[in-house]
Amino acid sequence: MRVLLVDDEADLASALAERLDMRGIAAEWVTDGMEALQRAASNDFDVAVLDLKMPRIGGLELKARLQSLHPDMKFIFLTGYGSETDFKEVACHEGEACYLVKPVDIQILIDLIRRVTHSGGEA
Amino acid sequence: MTLPSDPIGLAGLQYFGRTTASVSHELKNALAIIKENAGLLNDYLLLAEKGTTIDPARYKTVAVRIEDQTRRADQLIRNMNRFAHSVDSPVQSVVLDDLVALLAALSLREAAMRQVALTVRPTQSTITVTTAPFALLTLLGNCITFALAATQPGQTITLGIAPEGHDVQILFDSLTGLADMPGEAFPKESDKALLTALNARFKADGPAGRMVITLSGR
Repeated sequence: MRVLLVDDEADLASALAERLDMRGIAAEWVTDGMEALQRAASNDFDVAVLDLKMPRIGGLELKARLQSLHPDMKFIFLTGYGSETDFKEVACHEGEACYLVKPVDIQILIDLIRRVTHSGGEA
Repeated sequence: MTLPSDPIGLAGLQYFGRTTASVSHELKNALAIIKENAGLLNDYLLLAEKGTTIDPARYKTVAVRIEDQTRRADQLIRNMNRFAHSVDSPVQSVVLDDLVALLAALSLREAAMRQVALTVRPTQSTITVTTAPFALLTLLGNCITFALAATQPGQTITLGIAPEGHDVQILFDSLTGLADMPGEAFPKESDKALLTALNARFKADGPAGRMVITLSGR
């Protein structure tokens, strides 16, 4: 399984990627939506874990653009919003039900990654 | 339900809410980095306990990240605390350099999301004014929001303070797209009310890429 992590906080993305790697999930990380699109253009990823609020391209727009490159790719959003309720509102607005509020629990993230890849749809 | 009809009060509440949300969002990010890197340290220790040799440089990298983010969070809380105390007294003597530095610090995330940098030009001598600090921060915060919209990504907005006779000017320079902004975009009605309350004037010079707030009678 290959995961693409996109978060403008490099120290978060790199640590998460390393921890996923240690648990048998191959993860690559980038800090910018444009970089993510370039990486995805030449690589196949099963799941993209996207920060919702990023400069240039936000998570929701990035999801749409990645999905046009890889229609089968699954998506999980991360957010630093103040509360889970805030994020549900944003995510549900786009028909998403897949989110995690920072700080995330690594095991919950892994469970969610496994769930979206096995369910055949978004979480 | 009765909503605030006072435009200054409403603008102030909106600015307070916007700023609090922004700071709490940044704090969440700092905490997320601390948590993830603490988890990574724990992972290294578990590997070491099982006999895997871990390069000490990896521990150091992670420890430095945690230290950096703790410092970042501390600074965010300090800024938020100073901002919260701006409502202690409606009118007070304020070191304008400190207030503008606080404004820039509170606006960094908003600027980063627009890929614009903010810098504060140091003054030669400290300028003190008697003003309503929270109302002034609200007005200047709205100026920043407009200035960011009037600046292309990749550029740097410079904030400055300059005495002008008995008045003092707060300058927003290098607004590269100011000439293209619609004239009615700023100041809005609530900003005009703030300008009146603060005995201040607003001027925009599109071709020069400069906006000026002049506070009358220091």
